[in-house]
Amino acid sequence: MTANPALVAAPTVEVAEVSKWFGQKVAVSDVSCSFGPGLTGLLGPNGAGKTTLLRMLTGLILPSQGQVLVKGQKPRSNVERYREIGFVPEESAIYNTLTGEEYVMFAAQLSGVANPVQEARRAIETVGLTTDKDRAVGGFSKGMRQRAKVAAALVHDPEILVLDEPLNGTDPVQRAHLISLFRDLANQGSTVIVSSHVLQEVERMTDRVIAIVDGKLAAAGDISAIRHAMSDIPYRVLIECDSSRRLGAALLDNERVFSVTIAGNRIHVETSDLGGLGSMISGLARDLDIRLSRFAPEDESLESVFRYLVGGR
Amino acid sequence: MTAFLAITRVTIKQTLRPRRALGLGLLSVSTAVMYFLSGLGSSLGSDNDFARREAFDIFIGVTIGTFMNIVVPVVTLIIATAVLGDERRDNTMSFLALRPISRFTIGAAKMVAAFVECFVLTGVGALALGLISAPRIGSSAYVVPLVIGTAVATAAYVAIFVPLGYLLKRATLIGLTYVFIWENGIAATVPALASLSPWRIGISAMSALAPADFLFELPTFATGSLSPGAGGAAAKAIVLVMLSAASVALIVRRRDLAT
Repeated sequence: MTANPALVAAPTVEVAEVSKWFGQKVAVSDVSCSFGPGLTGLLGPNGAGKTTLLRMLTGLILPSQGQVLVKGQKPRSNVERYREIGFVPEESAIYNTLTGEEYVMFAAQLSGVANPVQEARRAIETVGLTTDKDRAVGGFSKGMRQRAKVAAALVHDPEILVLDEPLNGTDPVQRAHLISLFRDLANQGSTVIVSSHVLQEVERMTDRVIAIVDGKLAAAGDISAIRHAMSDIPYRVLIECDSSRRLGAALLDNERVFSVTIAGNRIHVETSDLGGLGSMISGLARDLDIRLSRFAPEDESLESVFRYLVGGR
Repeated sequence: MTAFLAITRVTIKQTLRPRRALGLGLLSVSTAVMYFLSGLGSSLGSDNDFARREAFDIFIGVTIGTFMNIVVPVVTLIIATAVLGDERRDNTMSFLALRPISRFTIGAAKMVAAFVECFVLTGVGALALGLISAPRIGSSAYVVPLVIGTAVATAAYVAIFVPLGYLLKRATLIGLTYVFIWENGIAATVPALASLSPWRIGISAMSALAPADFLFELPTFATGSLSPGAGGAAAKAIVLVMLSAASVALIVRRRDLAT
């Protein structure tokens, strides 16, 4: 393990002090992080620099400063590295006149796959597009296009999969299927990097996130660890009990508690010490003869963490 | 080789769409149609020397004044700029570039695809013009030279327009400016610049292969400082294509492939 949560112990992709600017606009600023086997979510609001970072990871665009290494080499300098990279771009990137099968087979041929027809069919089946494989990709719905792009990225069985908003336009069933696919690939040892601005999607896929805000690395690591690292932001806790007014009044006397809001039998508490509050609440309730029915942190979800990270945006 | 052929095949399928092919095909054979129509009003038979001379002059006029310096560059411009321009517009460069294939393979496959597409169209136009003119001129000896000259000019235009299509968003406009202002304006008045004009390189090849009266009748602006020579013209076109493929490879290697 490394001390810096943005870095992993056995990286396949390393980002070292990378910046990218387009004219006067700084898209990514001095980002250092790494990715290894498993699934990492790249989070950030729209325009945060996620796509630019992913494009640099694949070599599609070059860093203005710093370097990106894929298995120890710059991908642009050694095109053989592309045998190990699969990329699903955010934008359409579709050859409209090709059928689904031709599109995936084209990817297989470009990647030097030994049996392109067979491998293309396998990849198409993996993403559930078999019944539509003979239709022109130009006539596909957005969700189908996304799946065709995923199939094209998977066809050469890459070790590193870079996916930029891969779930955009997919319906809930397709989304669940793709999430399960990405998790399976990660569990089998692939390095899967998925960007999304939809927090629930990332939350369903992985615990390890790298958050980018305004082109800068805002946080990295396990979601709850990131939350705990935000010591300057009070925790929000929900308590449900049969006498909320009495318990709320008692909590206000506790030095760990900043504020108490009562709504029916629910108490919303802001505290500086989540662990301490958890340890003392049952004793306090017992002393007051109050029956507790729920004690739950309200802001350890990815959404809450993310809201804190992006601040007033 | 598989990747090379795959890129060539997909590029042709993407850029030579039916409506575009039909429109440009009609443009390409329009010169032959013009030539055919010009003979309808003639009351002289093809066995008349004066009629043959008149028909030959018209053949030179439409070959130089319409086919080689307007039809060939315009058809090639539209197809060749789309070969890489469409990849940029459709954001498919990532699909092509993030693969374990040499960058030169990408450039060369794009050149070959562009040439095949363009020459299918310009070659048909050249063949139609040559075949329609042959009975009136009284000789079919100009057909093959015209087709070869067209092939050379098409290849040279492809070499210029393919990278232009990727580098510039308004490549068609810039290409038209090149054709009409540079080639048919400046290079027409400065003979030393003829070697920078693809259609003149094509004419140089044609004039070396056609009967001598073709060269004799050519207006001076059509060849400029170029000497007739099929081998030299073909070599120039091939060198231009190779340089262009290398420049595409360099673009893919050095430039950002997305914005």
